[in-house]
Amino acid sequence: MTASKTTSLDIQHIARIEGHGNVEIKLDGSRIEHIELKTVEPARFFESIVGGRHFNDLALIVSRICGICSPNHTITGLMAVEDALGLEITQRTRLLRELLVYGSFIQNHATHLYVFAAPDYTNTVPSAKSNIASDTLPSVLSLAAGQKRDRELLRRALELKKLGNDLCAAIGGRPVHPVNAIVGGFTDQPDQMTLQVLAARLRAALTGALLTVELFAGVDFPNFQPDREKLALRDKSGGYAILPRGAQTTVSAHKSVWSQPVASYHDFISEHANPQNGNAKFSFLESNQGEQIPFMVGALARLSISGDALMPEAAVARSKLSNFSNPYLNNLCQAIELVDALERCAALCDRLAEDYEKSDKQIAPPQAIEVQAGVGYAASEAPRGTLYYSIGLDARGYVTSGDVITPTAQNLACIEADLRDLAPLLEGLPQDQLILRIEQLIRAYDPCLSCAVH
Amino acid sequence: MSAAIHNHGSSLKPAYPRAIVLSLASDFGCQLQLSNIADLLDVLGTIKLEYWQLMSSAVLPADYDIAIIEGAVTTQDHIELLQQVRTVAQTIIAIGSCAITGGVPALAAQDLGKHVQAVYSDDADRVAAGRVRPAPISNYVAVDYLVAGCPIDPREFVTVLQGALLGVRQRQQREPLCAQCKTMEAPCFYSIRAAQDIADGMATPQALCLGLVTRTGCGALCITRGRPCTGCRGIAADANLSSARTFIANEGLDVDDFDDALRIYSSHALDDGGEEQ
Repeated sequence: MTASKTTSLDIQHIARIEGHGNVEIKLDGSRIEHIELKTVEPARFFESIVGGRHFNDLALIVSRICGICSPNHTITGLMAVEDALGLEITQRTRLLRELLVYGSFIQNHATHLYVFAAPDYTNTVPSAKSNIASDTLPSVLSLAAGQKRDRELLRRALELKKLGNDLCAAIGGRPVHPVNAIVGGFTDQPDQMTLQVLAARLRAALTGALLTVELFAGVDFPNFQPDREKLALRDKSGGYAILPRGAQTTVSAHKSVWSQPVASYHDFISEHANPQNGNAKFSFLESNQGEQIPFMVGALARLSISGDALMPEAAVARSKLSNFSNPYLNNLCQAIELVDALERCAALCDRLAEDYEKSDKQIAPPQAIEVQAGVGYAASEAPRGTLYYSIGLDARGYVTSGDVITPTAQNLACIEADLRDLAPLLEGLPQDQLILRIEQLIRAYDPCLSCAVH
Repeated sequence: MSAAIHNHGSSLKPAYPRAIVLSLASDFGCQLQLSNIADLLDVLGTIKLEYWQLMSSAVLPADYDIAIIEGAVTTQDHIELLQQVRTVAQTIIAIGSCAITGGVPALAAQDLGKHVQAVYSDDADRVAAGRVRPAPISNYVAVDYLVAGCPIDPREFVTVLQGALLGVRQRQQREPLCAQCKTMEAPCFYSIRAAQDIADGMATPQALCLGLVTRTGCGALCITRGRPCTGCRGIAADANLSSARTFIANEGLDVDDFDDALRIYSSHALDDGGEEQ
């Protein structure tokens, strides 16, 4: 075999992520010569199929970009339409929307941490070594047949997931693809008792979330610190920015320390089709020299920018986070956000329950909406990072243009840059270990390729 | 590899039928709903789950009994995969609107080339290669059981799965939602509209309730929460479309708006000659 030492190693349909993606690796002996992430998820052309639809249908359609973060696509779509129409919403509508989005945070983070990521790390699964021959588990569901501690871990995972779902269902009508949220408000809202019960359940779940932080703080993540640029929404008034509050909310960069208004996102993020990488476009920041800079969004980026605005228990949990440079720590950051989300949602439920008596009319959209032509911009923090929308409307209220930049579309260039930096560190590892390290890194970003391609 | 057996009548042979979960073009929302089954572990006690990319690293086996499939057919690869699955699986369960009606992805079926061009411009030729007009999976293979909705209701899935495990032929709910809504005495948007003086420019699409023709079974989930039916379960087998259009016109609403609203989940049935099951 003297002709060539180069061999190919492909990971087809990376498991335990949302959407379909492959990794193509070329090995020269045991050295990675070339590594590429390929999204094989088929495009559904959302930015084009919304064209010609009435503004009332926009959020309904874009919600179908992603199952897990459908509340974010729904709400961000609604906000873009409202921005185009110059329509104000009430404080109660805004708080209900925040609860809905946080419901998807709880559901997403519990699913990602326990179902997608945990099986990669045997030390998150206490007795796995005695039960399972290999280093990793194929699925967290295999724990059902495990020892008591394993079964408890699985039960905790499913309970947290269910709580997130129940919160989404209480606000949006069902766990996936909310039905109550419409342009200008809500068609329905949870009653006072439901809110009070939710608040109690959210507080009761804190123990499980704190155990989740402990679990992931105990993981021996690889010491890999590419230290990329990070972007997230920032609330100038000091909140943990998830849904914008008007001009107080900007997009901020962690390393180069700048802030820009949401509406100017086209000025700092550029999207490029990358034929060799499949159907998802890649996003970059551009330096003054015209250099394309990959950047990271998601829990780690949010903590690097709004980490001082966490709720009390989450603020304590944050001390377990050693740095913002290691992308594997996005797992731990999601666990910290899980604690924050439970505390925050409990407080939100209390507040909404207290104001309930006088709230009947506070969620109803205006009887008549004055239609005007224009372009609306909106952004929100989805569980996996910042989600941008711009929607153009004509004078009759029909969509003329649509632009969506999803969190994973932003992270892909960053993941690939990380993989290239990681490659030399993997030299000499047996093939199964090498694949595991690569998959661990990709999963740490919690990618959603349905979103990335859309 | 086992031979193709498309029998509805006999129960599945192994004590624990081997199941796989596959997805074509979708948002993974129905798979998420599968993972949201309250008694997931009990359900998993009745089948042997051999492949589920979203939940497990296990690889797709050569042989299995039940294939649970989410998503619309949008590529040549999807067609080949489905045909392969049909030769192996004794039972195919299609879940969700994308798989059953073509769903939202089928909105790109008309002028597919235009949509590819609009989103990918310079890269359009590459993206267009191997693409087919988005369609439900029944366009290409026989489907034994289906679970409607966007997304599916996990409880409905469990009921259908139980039927499949027992080998009972699925009884289709043929009537439109409107009938169920009336027996529930849910408020009707058309009556409300008649009683209100709704301002122009607001009235058109928001006032349209598609329960007139939509497959029933959701318990009027949206309507009881103050939102008209958006048709996510597809067109009912016994729906009378022409009569519904006449009704819409008599209401002073625009029939084209009605059809456009139906297209969100049923464009394949309306425009591509798709037949509802």
